[in-house]
Amino acid sequence: MQTLLELAQGPLFRLTFAIMALGLLRIFILDIWGAIEAYRKAGDKNIPWKQAIKKTLGWLFPVRKAFGSRPVYSLLSILFHTGLILVPIFLFAHVELWKSGTGLGWITLPKSWADYLTLSTIIFGLALFFGRIAVRAASFLSRKQDYLWPLILIVPFITGYICAHAGVTPAGYRFYMLIHILSAELIFVLLPFTKIAHCVLMPLSQLVATLAWRFPPDTDEPVAISLNKKGVPV
Amino acid sequence: MNKNRATEEERTRALKPTKKPEVMERQRLPVRYHVEDYDVADRPRRFLEAFAVILRHSNYRFALEHFIRMSAKCSRCSVQCQVYLASGDLKDIPCYRSELLLGVYRRHFTMGGMLKGRVLGDSGLTDEMIEEMAESFWNCTACRRCSIECPAGIDHGLITHLGRYILSEIGIAPRALVVSVREQLEGKTGNTSAIPVPALLDTLEFLQDDMRETKGVEIEFPLDVEGCDYVFFPAVSDYLMEADTLMGIAAVFAATGDSWTTGTGYFDGINYGLFYSDRMLERIVKKVHAEAERLKGKNILIGECGHASRSAKYFVPTYCGGEKALPVINIMEYTYGALTEGRFRLDPNIVTEKVAYHDPCNIARQGWIIDQPREILKAFCKNYVEMEPHGENNICCGGGGGTVSIDEIRPYRTTIAGKVKAEQIRGSGCKYLVAPCANCKKQLRELVEDQKIDCEVVGLHDLIYKAIILENKN
Ligand code: SF4
Ligand code: SF4
Repeated sequence: MQTLLELAQGPLFRLTFAIMALGLLRIFILDIWGAIEAYRKAGDKNIPWKQAIKKTLGWLFPVRKAFGSRPVYSLLSILFHTGLILVPIFLFAHVELWKSGTGLGWITLPKSWADYLTLSTIIFGLALFFGRIAVRAASFLSRKQDYLWPLILIVPFITGYICAHAGVTPAGYRFYMLIHILSAELIFVLLPFTKIAHCVLMPLSQLVATLAWRFPPDTDEPVAISLNKKGVPV
Repeated sequence: MNKNRATEEERTRALKPTKKPEVMERQRLPVRYHVEDYDVADRPRRFLEAFAVILRHSNYRFALEHFIRMSAKCSRCSVQCQVYLASGDLKDIPCYRSELLLGVYRRHFTMGGMLKGRVLGDSGLTDEMIEEMAESFWNCTACRRCSIECPAGIDHGLITHLGRYILSEIGIAPRALVVSVREQLEGKTGNTSAIPVPALLDTLEFLQDDMRETKGVEIEFPLDVEGCDYVFFPAVSDYLMEADTLMGIAAVFAATGDSWTTGTGYFDGINYGLFYSDRMLERIVKKVHAEAERLKGKNILIGECGHASRSAKYFVPTYCGGEKALPVINIMEYTYGALTEGRFRLDPNIVTEKVAYHDPCNIARQGWIIDQPREILKAFCKNYVEMEPHGENNICCGGGGGTVSIDEIRPYRTTIAGKVKAEQIRGSGCKYLVAPCANCKKQLRELVEDQKIDCEVVGLHDLIYKAIILENKN
């Protein structure tokens, strides 16, 4: 168990973290690259930046969206995401680990906040899972992985909470810690290849949607030629 | 019971096939709109070929790449779609519709998809999938209301647009649209309503006479005048059906004295290319710009028409030289400017009935023109009421995306696609419904008729024409 734990904490952590970081960086760069290419080819380079930025901020900090068309779902989703983002990054124990490994540290969440956020992430993650099952439209759209994601995502939160709180035996502690780390590492690896990639692509969404309507000029001819339709009547 | 949901009887009526069984058999296309006979052999391969060519020569790819990575399947968009709200059919959920095409893209144009297809032995695009797309993309009005609500920024209007483009390249596009575009681009008259120039002259003369009689003033429709400030392109159908709109516009110009003209070389603002093929879109946009240049005009002025305005506003810069292209404005912007500058006056005692304003998606969805028409109306209509939601968030008339011109699907448009709008209009209790869009007008008139709502659908300038105070200069 101890060796497994060391393996998970050491080399495996570095490997999976690198896969995540590089993977996310790759799709982020590809996305920006695609956007730049599209902009270069666009016949109309007049982009309403202000509007796109406003919409982007609106979705990154969806305060107003929460009271829109699906208040319950929105609120659940927002609360879920809040914990999901804040806890892993600002948890005292995590920051300490970073500090010891890299010398870098940053502000941390007060312990009680971290606890509440952890619990809320678990609860709201489950709520989202059951919501997906219960709402007719959502379950119709969902693929297997759509159900799986909220469940996978809360595993490190549950195990982390257990490690930090429950009076488990040292062996139990090591067991939960192992699950905690491995599940987090699984998430790392999957991140760049699944829809959770939205964690880095989200800020680009509104820009992409705006830019997508900026078509390149003079495509009638090449498309017609490629499809053997040059001179063919409408 | 949700009043937006169509009743069982309405659904049956709306979805009844309108084509002869033998035609469906021959074309292998179980959809309600008419299609010209096309090559049915090997459809999936030809679809993919067209898709590939379009991807190569367009900007869609980067957006599709982004969308397939983002799609959260949260069903948030379902709350916004007036088609889904009315039909209750899960296949009308915007995200489901988009996935039809995104799935094909993922499977055939991404590395992962191709590998997965190989490993799982999934043969990919099938005839049935093409049939489903052909049905689904024309059930959507491409109003883009759903995209406001998509956290992932997925623009279902864009995907529908692309899907129709690909389908049209293999011969699947509503005949109603194709025939109009054919006349516009290759016909003798060069416009969608097939109005020859002599008939146009007659109409304008008739309008001038009418104005002299009813308003007692000489109002002109200038033709082929070079160097004007504004070269005017209404939806050409207005010359046949919207006399009051045109007279209202002429009256405003008579009052302001600005120079404007219609060109006899080309006078149609309609662009059905926007609804099914980027190639046609481009060709038509270029015609508009070329005519304005021929007349050495300073601005392209589009009449009361949503999609005509959008196709000119957003695609003249695209296809005609970016910033060097002529500026495009909509008549409502012009009229609003003139009114606020005090260049004409409106009598507040003429229109006393309840008036509501319908935002055409193509004009309002991007926040382009929302307040101006309202300000104009409030300036002289005592009894202005607002429908909720409105503006950028408006509900489509139900005939968007070109579906309005497909007469054979009228039952679908007025019992499903326009159902939510109908309830909205009923709820407002308006007597006049102002819809500054040729397409919206047609659809809304059919809608209030079929849904038995007591309300008259008019253009903005129809009401202006009633109330404008003209000084008789003679
Ligand atoms: S574009 Fe309009 S009609 Fe089409 S799916 Fe979206 S909301 Fe529905
Ligand atoms: S016809 Fe009018 S309301 Fe309908 S989609 Fe077009 S602009 Fe929207």
